[in-house]
Amino acid sequence: MTFVTAGHRPRRWAHAGSGPLFLLPSALIIGVFVLYPIVQSLWMSLHDWSMFQISHPFIGLANYAELIHDRRFWNALLNTVIFTLATVPVQVIVGLVLAIALSRSTWWAVFLRSVYFFPVISSFATMAIVWRFLLSADVGPTASWLRALGVTPLDWLHSTIWALPAVILVGLWKNIGFTMVILLAALQDVPESLSEAAVLDGATRWQRFIHVTVLSIRHALLFTSVIAVIASLQVFDQVYVMTRGGPLFHTETLVTYMYEQGFTEYRSGYAAAIAWVLFILIVLVSIVQLRLFRYSDVD
Amino acid sequence: MKTKTLLTALAMSSMLTIGLVGNAFAAPVTLTYWSGFTGGDKQAYLDLIKKFNDTHPNIQVDYQLQPWDSIAQKLPTAIISGSGPDLATPDYNVATIQQYVANGLALPLDDLIPQVGQGVLPQAVIDSFSVGGKLYAAPANYATLLLYYNKDLLSKAGIAAPPKTMTALQDDAVKLSNGNGQYGISLADNATIQMWPVLIWSDGGDLISNKCSALADPKTIGTVEKWSALIRDKKISPVGSTGQDADNLFAAGKAAFEINGPWAAGQYKSAGVNFDVAPVPVGDSGKPVTLASTVPTIVSSKTAHPKEAQTFLAWWLSKDTQAQLSTAAAYAPSRNDMATDPAITSNPTVAAFAVQVPNARLYLPTEKDFAKIDTGIFIPAIQSAEQNGNAADALKAANDQLNQLLGCQ
Repeated sequence: MTFVTAGHRPRRWAHAGSGPLFLLPSALIIGVFVLYPIVQSLWMSLHDWSMFQISHPFIGLANYAELIHDRRFWNALLNTVIFTLATVPVQVIVGLVLAIALSRSTWWAVFLRSVYFFPVISSFATMAIVWRFLLSADVGPTASWLRALGVTPLDWLHSTIWALPAVILVGLWKNIGFTMVILLAALQDVPESLSEAAVLDGATRWQRFIHVTVLSIRHALLFTSVIAVIASLQVFDQVYVMTRGGPLFHTETLVTYMYEQGFTEYRSGYAAAIAWVLFILIVLVSIVQLRLFRYSDVD
Repeated sequence: MKTKTLLTALAMSSMLTIGLVGNAFAAPVTLTYWSGFTGGDKQAYLDLIKKFNDTHPNIQVDYQLQPWDSIAQKLPTAIISGSGPDLATPDYNVATIQQYVANGLALPLDDLIPQVGQGVLPQAVIDSFSVGGKLYAAPANYATLLLYYNKDLLSKAGIAAPPKTMTALQDDAVKLSNGNGQYGISLADNATIQMWPVLIWSDGGDLISNKCSALADPKTIGTVEKWSALIRDKKISPVGSTGQDADNLFAAGKAAFEINGPWAAGQYKSAGVNFDVAPVPVGDSGKPVTLASTVPTIVSSKTAHPKEAQTFLAWWLSKDTQAQLSTAAAYAPSRNDMATDPAITSNPTVAAFAVQVPNARLYLPTEKDFAKIDTGIFIPAIQSAEQNGNAADALKAANDQLNQLLGCQ
């Protein structure tokens, strides 16, 4: 009897201890590279923090108060919101249309899927340089061809009117393929029987699309739209390479402004405050999206 | 007693021997140097570092090339934490060193001037690299800007020689612009070594004067109005160009003039442009003026080898090294006493840039809020004038912002 009890104790201990041990590597990585920087940036945003200084005076919410009166911040926020509102619906709708159009297994559908997905796997910094040439009114093939045809090319990236639309278009070109692939995978999982049942019930093609297809892939739609919103609110690389926020701050976004404050003016505390405003914005928008899609754990 | 004396002598001679042997086999001091010269002049720097290492067995420089952005992001914290390099080029904008000095991250170079010599470094360098009478950086290079011109475009337009006055430059630029992709001048306004201050200075205007803004000075406004009107109405230059855009345009043979430094010559040669350089034309002030560009090298305040670091900098500023750098990369020498040096005068391109040293001014050299003034105030004012044709209003608004920043009424 004693022998049996003694034999059980170590096994129970080992069983209970293995879970946290398995979690430890991931927890360490997330703790060091995600959670600690988040907490540290909140702490920095409450200080007059410069990379040059050893001591950083505590200033409470002064950085946030300064943001309220900072016209460049509000301009960057507005540009970011315009970018997001223009990008996300188009990205999801066009991605869905492409996914439906290319859901067949013909050779040309497979070929076109690769074509649309190619921008996703290419380096954005490199592609942004290519697009700078393509959109240039003076140097590059597009300008030469248009001039040869007697058409004066539009100077997209130096125009206060067209620079932001140009950046938005390039963002769409880059990201639509990602949305398409996710939705394509979701469409493959929609049972054929649901559509057939709807046909028997007399549903029109549109009704089947809305009530069967869209409803069945709503998790994928939620995922792609949440990811698209987060990526749009964090847009940086294409703006930095294509326009550096210009002309006259017309393409400056929250993250490019944050970068400038942090690494050009060396105001790390102020940049951290911008990061926290962006973080809160992303959390709020994500909650609204989850509500709109009526997502719950039951799903 | 004898034994004691003998033992003492033996001990002393042993110590002396060990010391001598130890000294003879002492490991060389290694200086880490973070540098941002990754462009066309990279090889010239690499060759010089190799030459230093080959000729200085006791001091070896570990030259680490990094993009400018990367240095800007890492250097301050690296020095504070003690993991930084011994030497570094913090930024290509000279004013950045003010932050390093103000926060005690750069070492005063007290041993450098005695080694290089009094009055040898250009006064503009001394003025911008000194704080409180102490020198905190040495010039890694020294460049002046000249007027590049496309000989083929000028010849086609019947223009025999490059312009000598700003008025002639404007007339030529109008004549050389065809409104269909060919521009008289390629004038960048952002992400570049600034060209607009040269135009402003040449007419007697300024950006900052007596520690307060001079952006609303009638001469400053007059210059910006004149050039921005030509850009808007006569299309003499694209608007809003970055330095790279402007260089690409000249390299593509689509711009007749560009104000640029010696580093651009190589890419224009390889692009097959038939070009030459001339002094920047003289404006209303009647005095020749151009922009100087110099990259500071600082010694970290945490370095364990301050003497060796300054020995390296003194070598860098020696006549032989400067002659080699000038010949290889067309920079003007960072010394006042080499104007008649055969290494400079025998090379027409180097001589053309070097002869401008006395006329050259640095852009906002001592402003600790350089980035705020450059990207937040000056560039938007110029871009607004180019885009909206409101030079006077834009400069007056910028003037108020700048005065507020500088603490002027």
